[in-house]
This record gives sequence, structure tokens and C-alpha cells, in this order.
Amino acid sequence: MTKLPLEGIKVADFSWFGAGPICAENLGRYGATVVRVESEAHVDGLRGVQPFATGKTGYNVSGFFNNYNAGKLDLTLNLNTELGTQLGRKLVEWCDIFITNHTNRMVDRWGLAYDELVKINPTIIAAYQPMQGLDGPHKDFFGFGAVLNAITGYNELSGYPNRPPMGLGTNYPDYVINPGHTLIAILAAMRYRKRTGKGQRIELAQLESSVAPLAPAVMDYMANGRVQTRAGNRLPHASPHGAFRCKDNTWQDAPEDRWIAFGIFDEAQWRGLVDAMGDPSWAADAKFASLDTRKQHEDSLEAHITEWTREHTAEELMVLLQSKGVPAGIVQNARDILNADAHLKARGYYQYLDHPETGRSAYDGAPFVLTKTPGTLRSPAPLLGQDNEYVCKEILGLTDEEIADALVEQALF
Amino acid sequence: MTESALDDIRILDLAGETGVYATKLLADLGADVIRIEPPDGDPLRNVGPFWHDEQAADRSLSFFNLNTNKRSITLDITKPEGRALFEKLAATADVVVESYEPGYLDSLGLGYAGLSAIRPDIILTSITGFGQTGPHARYKWSDLVGVAMSGMMTLAGEKEDQPNRVYGNQGYMCAGIDGAAGTMMALVHRDNTGEGQQVDVSMQETLSINMETAMVTYDMNQRVATRTGSKGVIPIDIPGIGIYDTKDGQIFAYLGTPGGAPWTVMLDWMNSEGLAEDLNNEPNISMIRGLNLRFLTGLVQEPDKLAERIQVLGHMHAVFTRFCASMSKWTLYEGAQNQRLMIGIVSTPEDLAKNPQLAHRAWYQDVPHDHLGATVRYPGPPYRLSATPWSLRRRPPLPGEHNTEMFSELGVSAADLQRLHAEGVV
Repeated sequence: MTKLPLEGIKVADFSWFGAGPICAENLGRYGATVVRVESEAHVDGLRGVQPFATGKTGYNVSGFFNNYNAGKLDLTLNLNTELGTQLGRKLVEWCDIFITNHTNRMVDRWGLAYDELVKINPTIIAAYQPMQGLDGPHKDFFGFGAVLNAITGYNELSGYPNRPPMGLGTNYPDYVINPGHTLIAILAAMRYRKRTGKGQRIELAQLESSVAPLAPAVMDYMANGRVQTRAGNRLPHASPHGAFRCKDNTWQDAPEDRWIAFGIFDEAQWRGLVDAMGDPSWAADAKFASLDTRKQHEDSLEAHITEWTREHTAEELMVLLQSKGVPAGIVQNARDILNADAHLKARGYYQYLDHPETGRSAYDGAPFVLTKTPGTLRSPAPLLGQDNEYVCKEILGLTDEEIADALVEQALF
Repeated sequence: MTESALDDIRILDLAGETGVYATKLLADLGADVIRIEPPDGDPLRNVGPFWHDEQAADRSLSFFNLNTNKRSITLDITKPEGRALFEKLAATADVVVESYEPGYLDSLGLGYAGLSAIRPDIILTSITGFGQTGPHARYKWSDLVGVAMSGMMTLAGEKEDQPNRVYGNQGYMCAGIDGAAGTMMALVHRDNTGEGQQVDVSMQETLSINMETAMVTYDMNQRVATRTGSKGVIPIDIPGIGIYDTKDGQIFAYLGTPGGAPWTVMLDWMNSEGLAEDLNNEPNISMIRGLNLRFLTGLVQEPDKLAERIQVLGHMHAVFTRFCASMSKWTLYEGAQNQRLMIGIVSTPEDLAKNPQLAHRAWYQDVPHDHLGATVRYPGPPYRLSATPWSLRRRPPLPGEHNTEMFSELGVSAADLQRLHAEGVV
């Protein structure tokens, strides 16, 4: 069997919540041995957040936590104790890659700053994900994804202009933007280390990483003085462009709204749309004849289209529009994604793993597929502290007696 | 000279909008990225906004940002001679990144089979709407379609509105990030084994994890999460949670979160400004002392007290709303954060440009553009690597700016280049 790219690479995952754990999970997916460090004195908040496996309670049954931590070994280490800190340093000595998204204050308190780590492990690759950076007037500002959404501009720029800047309903930068950027940086540092034997520090300020993908708005201000704001689903260079309401579904005895999303970027696509609609007379009106005129009459255009889409299911419309060359897709919900989407199923995107407490559960799949060395989650999310003994013995080289001492001193807690 | 993580890597960049952020990320880490533009113009150059609002091929700010550090050649790979030149170039390349409809490059003989015959250890990164395999592989996509099909759009917006798209082609951005990460992973594998491969990136898949708990909630509880709008999942006014208007814009507050200061710290601040009104009196003060997430999540569990509590909370919300309205957004943001109260400014692009933290860290980068006779300001690094830093070494290229040097490297004579130009190959 072909070796995975990161087989033999050792990762000390001192992170929590989303941005750190997801990055470390992807290192494990591609072969690295990942030890997730937690503590009952300082439990990862996601272990306490819904959803929980139906009828279950406790730290081990949160789908939120589990989805970002599969394939990892789990070690509870109370870094607020002297012995816990010592064991943490042993893990630092062992690893190739260290990652944390704890605040600068906690990183300093626990002795996990880069200057400390290189004393123990001179070639370590250490990745930090501070909210706003390791220095600067806002270095101790705190927050999580939802606040970051606001600070970085996603709230101001997304949604409808007549609504408050409420954001995206999620902690958006936590899932791809920040863990994904961090993964790129870590892999770059690995290549450099392989060539030169040198490690380095990676600093991903979540503020900077999250603003970078909003370049057009920032540069429009810098170059042109224009302050962009949110404009709903419309685009300056496409019309129509948005989500259109379809026939309702019934789900659990209640009506469920359904939407088809598409955008028309050129005249061939417009003809495809008109054809799909059955060539209605309104579409021949001069006011819909070009992009410019459609932009001018967009309210009326959207109303006409919705009269049509309301009569059909989103599924029918996606197939029909695609057959006419119009890029179109259902605004899918979680049930669609997991149950109905035959494409995701055929590609095997979601991975189902048997977990001792939640039972068989779905995990997000690989963010990219390496066709010869596909990544996989080799085990479900770990129970809190489930690998304490294994990690202490096999990785940290502790004797049974030392492990017993660590338990008594509440260092393994 | 500072070393770079990728200065031994050459990348041929055939990516359209869907994948081009990936090649920018790799170029900014030091790779030699050669952008291959069709002779009749790279469609990316038509994407606004434009420098000084002047729509021209050398003025697209979107193109600028996504093509820093790259060189550009023009080449029609659909013509036999163009294809032959591309094959010569591919022999010198480590990576090809593309975002054509699956099968298109194969039809030119330039898919993975064709390229790996020329260069066995080549990495071909294909970044598309739905990936290379599966029943929707040939579906047409746009950013909107990816965002919709991924599930994340169903969570954004007010119930009465269309589900909201996220600003700024985030589908393309996320696909680009994962495309760059996948390319790096394949490079690490090649470093280890000498083996190349195709990297298959589906925008729909890269985006799906952005639906946060919605997928696992359905899997575990058969509950379908949907958009809840500005009020969130608890549809009542809660003081210090949500969007508030200020004198000059808005803030997002999330007071009472674990790790942050309690509401009483906010009350002290309101007192010091003389704007606490009657919040120091009962029943408000008792409510403030107990106001935390546990209290809020427990609200619904005591339905007999709910109506009274909603009234008190609503009043506190109104007082807090008036407090915010009398302050500036920057004062609220920095003042709150300095007391560990969780408030974030709702930044406009102007706020981002003037952000003191980004200024202190010299994040924005000024790049001279000789052809504009001006300096253009760019967003800075998403990450800072201490030994192999991200850097902007070269402004984005003009169309075909590097034709002469690249084609002479391939052994094309000046006369041949002129002929190829006349025949529309270059």
C-alpha cells in the first residue's frame, strides 16, 4: 500500500474550538500522528455544544466537537500544574509540528511561546493562530468566529442592504479560511525543513487571514475610495443572480421553503433560461433584452422568474436548467447534503465512523482528494483522555509508576 | 537573500476564477508561477473593480490581487503549435493548476494522462465546481451555485428573504485555499517518493464544512437547521447580544460569553458615562448579576417566569441600545475589548483600511505599478512564516509580458515568435 504523505509526521495539537483542530485533523487525515491535548480543567468548549447524539449526554457526544477531531489520539494534560507543563514539554520535544489557537495570554502562561519551544525542540514547526496577531495594540482582543465575521468585514458586506449586518449564521472563518491557510503554511514549512533541516514559526493572525479573501472590497476602497456594502445576492455583472423560491416541501408535517440558485452571466445562458421557462412572452420584452436592461429592471425580472420557479421543485429546476447550459443548483440543506445528494454519495465525501458513545456518525470528508494517496480518518473522534496511558507510555516514555504519580497530582486531568 | 519555501517549484497556471486564488497563494510563498492567458484576453482581466474605475485589461484590481508574483505568457493551447509549446513548458514544470470542465484538458491530450507522459512526477491540481468524478462532475457551476449546493447558504439570512450568498466569491476563495493546500500535500508526497498525481478539488466539498453544525445536527438528531436571521436561535431581545447601531456605524456584541468579563463590567462603564438609566435598580440589577449564557440557555426551561424576564431583558436591551447609539463604533469596540467585554466593530472596507492593528503590523503592502505610474495598495499576508516569509516580489503581469523570455527559454527563435504571434498562437 502506498504511504500517505504525512506518515511518520508527529503533531502536537494544543488547539481548541474550530480553526486549530480542523487544521490538525487534516494533517492526521493525510497520515500524521496527531495528539490532541485537552484538559478537564479547561475543556474544549465545543464538547459542551449541541448537537449531541440523541439521548446521550457528556463530553464525548457532541457532533460539533467530534467532526473536527477524528483520527486523533487524546491526552488530557492540566497545564496549570507543574507536572502537566513538564509532560507538555515532553510532547513538544517529540513532535514535528505544534499548533495552537489559544490566546496569547494562555500561550505565555503555559510556556508555549515559540522562543520556549525551540529551546526544547530546535527544528520544530510551530503554528500560532492568535485572533489579531502576536503583537500590536489589539493583540489581546478576544473573540470567536462570529465576532471575527463582524471585525473582518463579512457582516458588513454580506446579506441584504435593508437588513442589519447579521452575518452568515455561522462562525465562517473558523472552518476553511483559517484552518486552510494554516495548513498551507505548515506544509510549506515542512518542505523547507526537509530541504534545510530548519524549523520555523508560523503566525496566522485570524484577522489578517480572514480579511485577505475580501481583497476586492478593500482594494476598491484603497484605489477608488468606494466603500462597498452588502447588496444581497445580486452582482454588478450578472442578471438575474440569486435564489428563487420553488414549490414548498413538506418535512415533519410542516412546510419547508425550497430555493433554486442561479446566475446569468452571458446571453447564451439567458437564452438557456428563457428556453427552460418555455419562452414566456414577458421574456421577449425589450427591457430584458440585455444585461444592462435586465439590471435596470431586476425587481420585475425576479418577480417574473419566481412566478415560474414557484410552480416547480428545486430538483426539477436544477436538472432542467443544467440541461440548458445554465449553472444552477439547489440551495441544499443538511438533509439534502447527507441523504439526497447522489453526487456527494458517489464521491464518498462524507465518512461514517463507529464511535463508542455516539454510534455510527457522519464526518466531513477530505477538503481535497489526492488521487493516488487519498486521505482518510482512521478513527472516530476520541473520548476525552482516552489515550492518556498509550501516549504516556509509548510517546512520552513514562513508567507505570510515573503515570500513577501524574494521575495523583492531577496532571493527567 | 531570504529563502523561500517554494523557490524550487514551477507552476503553470491555467486556472480560471475558481482556482486562481490557489496559484496566488503558492506564488506569494515563492513558487515560479507562469500564468497562461489566451491570446484574445484573460477573462479574469474583465472582472471589476478597476483601478480608478477605468475598465481595461491592465487595470482590474481583482486580477491584480489574484496574480501577484506571477509571470504571464499568452498561448492558445487549442492550436496544435500552442499545444506543442505547452507540452515543452510542462516538461519544465512541477505543477499544473487548472479549473476547466472535467475532461476538457483530456480532450486536448493535456489531462493527467497526457501530462504525466511528458513529465512523470507532475502534479495536476484540478479545481472545479463538483470535482472530477460523480454524476454532477459535468454540471455547470458559478460561485453562487457552489455556495448553494454546499449547504452553507441555507443558514444565512432572514426567513422572509432569499437565503443569503456570502460576499466576495467565497466559494472560489475556499476552493483556492484547499487547492493550494492539496497541491502542497502532493508536493510533500513527491518530495518523499518522487511520485506525482492529480489533486481533485470540488468547490462544493470544500465549502460544505462551512455549514458548521448543520450536517452533524441532521445526522445525530434528524433536525434540519435553517436560517434564523438577525435574532438568532433565541428570538427575543437580549441585552448585549447582536448588532447595535452606534453614532457612526454598527457593532456586534456578545456579552456574557465564557472567558469574558461579566455584564456588571459593562454596567460600570455605562455608569461612568452617566448612561445606565435605571439599570442599577431592581429588578434590572439582579438580572444583570445573573446574566450569562447558562441563564440564557435556561430561559425556556422555566416558562412561568419567561414573560416577566422577557420584559426586563427587553428594557435592558433598550437602555443598552441607547448607550451604543451615543458612542462611536471604535470607542465601543476598543473600550469594550480593553475590559474583556466581547464586542466587535462591524468593519466597513474603510474601517479595514484604517484598522490600527493592521497598520501597526504593516499588513497592507504598497506595490509600484510602472504602467500606471502609481502605487497600488494590496492586502497583506494571510500568514507569516519566520524563515520563509510570504512576500510580494513582483507586480501582477501585463498580458503576455513574459512571452519573450519564456519562449526563448523553450528555444523559440524571435522570428518564430513573430510568426506564432501573427498566427494567433501567442
